[in-house]
Amino acid sequence: MPILIFYLLTLAIFGAIYGTLALGLNIQWGYTGILDFMYIAFVAVGGYVTSLLMLQPSQPALGETYVLGLNWPFIPAILVGGLAAALLAFIVGILSLNRLRSDYFAIVTVAVGLVLYTIAGNDTPLVNGWDGLSAIPQPFQDALNLDYNTYQFFFLGMCIVILILVYIFSERLYRSPFGRALRSVREDEMVAQGLGKNVFALRLKAFVIGAFIAGIGGALLVIYVDAFNPSAWTTGETFFLWAALLLGGSANNRGALLGALIVPVLFAEATRLLPNILPPNILSPQYVDSFRYIAIGILLILTVRFRPQGILAEKRFRVRKSKLLEPAVATAGGPVPVTDADLADNPGTLTDGNVTPGEEGNTL
Amino acid sequence: MSQTSPDATSRSATTAARSVDTIVLDVRNISKSFGGLHAVDNCSFTVARGSITGLIGPNGAGKSTAANLITGFIRADAGQIVFDGKDIAHLPPHRVALRGLTRTFQITRELERMTVTENMMAAPRDQLGESFWPGLLGLPAVRKQENEYLQRALQLLRDFDLYDLRDEYAGNLSGGQRRLLELARVVMAEPKLLLLDEPFAGINPVLAARLSDYIEQMCRAKGITFLIIEHNLAMVERLCQTVIVMALGRTIAEGTMAELRQNAAVVDAYLGES
Repeated sequence: MPILIFYLLTLAIFGAIYGTLALGLNIQWGYTGILDFMYIAFVAVGGYVTSLLMLQPSQPALGETYVLGLNWPFIPAILVGGLAAALLAFIVGILSLNRLRSDYFAIVTVAVGLVLYTIAGNDTPLVNGWDGLSAIPQPFQDALNLDYNTYQFFFLGMCIVILILVYIFSERLYRSPFGRALRSVREDEMVAQGLGKNVFALRLKAFVIGAFIAGIGGALLVIYVDAFNPSAWTTGETFFLWAALLLGGSANNRGALLGALIVPVLFAEATRLLPNILPPNILSPQYVDSFRYIAIGILLILTVRFRPQGILAEKRFRVRKSKLLEPAVATAGGPVPVTDADLADNPGTLTDGNVTPGEEGNTL
Repeated sequence: MSQTSPDATSRSATTAARSVDTIVLDVRNISKSFGGLHAVDNCSFTVARGSITGLIGPNGAGKSTAANLITGFIRADAGQIVFDGKDIAHLPPHRVALRGLTRTFQITRELERMTVTENMMAAPRDQLGESFWPGLLGLPAVRKQENEYLQRALQLLRDFDLYDLRDEYAGNLSGGQRRLLELARVVMAEPKLLLLDEPFAGINPVLAARLSDYIEQMCRAKGITFLIIEHNLAMVERLCQTVIVMALGRTIAEGTMAELRQNAAVVDAYLGES
């Protein structure tokens, strides 16, 4: 069943790309608590800039107008695309992250997203307006010269490599003292400031890093769908990613990936099939989009109400056994060390033999 | 420094006589208004290095505003705040903290979805790994420092009887445990001056006694100076050699609790309408 295989291949590619995007949003929201409702605009900037760098010069005679068109190779183009998204985040962040608390900052992001959307659509010479860009060169195809189907597998491989790199990066970031400082900002800005954390600088860094990842993911997305216009990055798209992250589990990178599989892939992509299954008198194809948004909304409400931490909750940092202190001299009220005599007296209760004063576990 | 009131003149004279060696915090004529309300009005006082100093006063005296001014959370309209020999009045709060002036809050604030140990680990002031690249790359120096901090954190948690709760989320602690963690956390930052904003508010007498023992112990063993804003006068009397009294945004008296009880202005501020 080649059609099914290629359909699954499509889903896998979308899964890898949306997974990358969810990881970037996780750094902003999950780690740092930044309410970013313009995330999809960073995706778009990354996508546009990468495409504009890779495309041939614009040919207005054919009704296509856009800037640049430098015929760049893929790797520098995607990196500059990511940097362009990061630069946008830097500008938005430096102007408003230190002045506005989280919800007011969120309003700014919505506004900036809409402004960019309107400019991209209406300023036709910039990125070809509402018609958008198309026929973006396929990365490495010049050298590889693969047939269409084989190339899809290659592209999937490329997306997965980038996803893995971003995942490793995110995990390392989470575990580093830098990530801990980001989370302290998320938990309580005043405590973080009181402990000497430069809250503004930390939030700005997280915002920029997340936007860079968004730009990289955006480049892959635009190249894959091979046609990109402003209708592909409405504010609604941002909420798909938010729904993915909140459902999968904020501050947990595996949760973000799981959410990206469930929401944008299964919900958004797979529901395209619904009209084929349901008879038109029950679900007319033109309503599929609307039902999708309703379903995502309900899913979000249920998640926030019944499992606010998401399917995979944030991992708890536990002190490694090897790092624990030597058992203390028993203090009043402290744990009483288990001695050999205790073990001998109560063999039944200590059969696993690893009960030590240092491993009391959770007492609450 | 030209002063009009004789009281202020004598204060500045004594201040000049003392050196940075003995004075860790020198608050000079700070003021802060909110609209027409002069919350802190030309307020001056000093805190001696190595002391446990109390800051008391009736409600609305401006104590908490003074705390926020000293720690940079609010910017003073006028005046100088000299900490460890340098004016910190214009520094943002994190810079004040990095200089070694750390605070706690009236209502305990924890990093709730982080564990007790992580709360402690977030505290040290000079963390190499809090820079992006060294942290991301996990440089040997970063790992070494993390190990040292972890050992110190666990040691402190044991000192504060929180060791068994090390892997618990701070948000799951009881009110008393939160107070202990908050104190342990700021001690972890190894400050020169620790400003405690009502550390004894809403905790039972047994825990209060324990907390005051910890404070004395940290003052002695680690040489931390304490400035304690507190309403519980018995606790202040027990802990503090010097007590500063504020009323209506100014310091009105300074001395031991025994002296202050005899001071008509202080008694007035607490009981009278003044």
